[in-house]
Amino acid sequence: MKISVEDVRYIAKLAKLSISFEQAQKMVKEFEGILTHFESICRLDLADVQPEPLERNSGTVLRKDEISVFEDKKKLFRNAKSISNSYIKVPKIIE
Amino acid sequence: MSIHEMTAFEIRKGIVKKQFSARDVVTAFFDRIYEKEPLVDGFLTLCREEALAKARQIGEKIKAGEPAGKLAGVPVAVKDNICTDGIRTTCASRMLHDFIPPYDATVVKRLKEADAVIIGKTNMDEFAMGSSTENSAFKKTKNPWNRERVPGGSSGGSAAVVSAGMAALALGSDTGGSIRQPAAFCGVVGLKPTYGLVSRFGLIAFGSSLDQIGPLAKNIKDSALALETIQGRDKYDSTSVRHSITKDYMSTIECGVKGMKIGVPVEFFDSGLDEEIALSIKACIRKFKEIGAFVEDISLPVIEEGLSAYYIISSAEASSNLGRFDGLRYGYRTKNYNSLDQLVERSRSGGFGEEVKRRIMLGTFALSSGYYDAYYGRAQKLRTAIKEQFIKAFESYDILLSPVSPVLPFKIGEKAADPLEMYLSDIYTVNINLAGLPALSMPCGISRTGLPIGLQIIGPHFGEEKLFKAAYALEQELKLTVMHPML
Repeated sequence: MKISVEDVRYIAKLAKLSISFEQAQKMVKEFEGILTHFESICRLDLADVQPEPLERNSGTVLRKDEISVFEDKKKLFRNAKSISNSYIKVPKIIE
Repeated sequence: MSIHEMTAFEIRKGIVKKQFSARDVVTAFFDRIYEKEPLVDGFLTLCREEALAKARQIGEKIKAGEPAGKLAGVPVAVKDNICTDGIRTTCASRMLHDFIPPYDATVVKRLKEADAVIIGKTNMDEFAMGSSTENSAFKKTKNPWNRERVPGGSSGGSAAVVSAGMAALALGSDTGGSIRQPAAFCGVVGLKPTYGLVSRFGLIAFGSSLDQIGPLAKNIKDSALALETIQGRDKYDSTSVRHSITKDYMSTIECGVKGMKIGVPVEFFDSGLDEEIALSIKACIRKFKEIGAFVEDISLPVIEEGLSAYYIISSAEASSNLGRFDGLRYGYRTKNYNSLDQLVERSRSGGFGEEVKRRIMLGTFALSSGYYDAYYGRAQKLRTAIKEQFIKAFESYDILLSPVSPVLPFKIGEKAADPLEMYLSDIYTVNINLAGLPALSMPCGISRTGLPIGLQIIGPHFGEEKLFKAAYALEQELKLTVMHPML
């Protein structure tokens, strides 16, 4: 399958990744090879096959909405870059 | 025999019989780690203090005459994508280089309840994407059998540390072969359980419909013991098993294979398979016949196309699962941004490595407008076809045999430049994940160049008992019970 640098940069944008022109050029080559291999699935006749429904046998997947207290709140916030009271402070991004 | 050479069974027995203490075990393993880890680079984090504290607790239990857990005093290494309360869990990614989980994964909780001792977190391909552990952001793990070669991946660290005697057991995760292939490369036993048998709560997700946690062990009995400990329903994982399951594998493990029907899919022995691996598997087939099993060839077409379906589905799921890493609440955050979009894009681009970005983009592409039906939709249909093919095969056969990898452990750097070539090395393992089946990888020989060769035994859904029975019978015949590399 043929793809262009623009295609790769568009996909990167959708995936919220920033890539340079040089990286995109390298990816074009790699993606063409991989996507050509992926086309092997087009050779098969799958017209009568149903896609696999993940939850076919598992019934309802919802559990009761019960409140439980997480004792060690400090632990929960340990990975946040900055905390104010019990809120995670995020960087200012709107002027 | 030194303590670090013992199996999990032998360690527990020694502790319960007071031949040595849990502290002796922890000390012996850390001595081994300090000596050999510089050669192998299998660990990302070591937890000596926590391990000694746990050993003390076990010692007190034994002294007080209380019953010791199933894995009492057994040193276990845990892959670094499985959350450990208070212990750094990085997924071998810059994105999570400082992430400390506030809770234990269910499997870790169950290990601790069984009195196992967590000794460290192991290296892996970043976010479990890779087949060589070269995609780690932090270090390259070496194969203990030949340190110029890769240990396999993505659970390469877990396989290498068990093989090198630096842990008695380890946990890995398997999305497309990530437990079985490194087990084969390092000469240990790796089990990918049936999808749903082991809780995924606390496993940092890659492909949620494919991921499954499983043990890497020195022999079959240790593997069964570890599975008994970690398996079973968990209310925190809605995909975990709801029906009753086999709880005790030990009572039937020595029953043998007399009358067992074994299928050998001919498609797994095509021209791409290394000659020595093929010979080794054929020798196993002969052994199975000698000990009373009925073995015949079968055909399972679409194995090759399964590889494409796997990479489409797993990348699509990864692109969604890894969407949560945005640099806002936790994880790597760029310092250089002027807008929200820039903050997210630059944090993700700086935090993720090359292969992770490639998979996210492949997945985004497969799910994007105009390509969804041709790629993702077809791949899901093919997945159904593959699953049905296996289910049909298991109407006639108890287990199936195949190689784990088409190649022997390759050199570090050998396949790193060509992502497609790396993907192709997963050809014999990915279909099992698509079908949600259990499969076990066990050592079955050593190549002329001194590298381990692995055999894959595939079972029907929740047929782990059959896998252990067959694997144990073969292990006894091959007399390769524990293979030690020269380190």
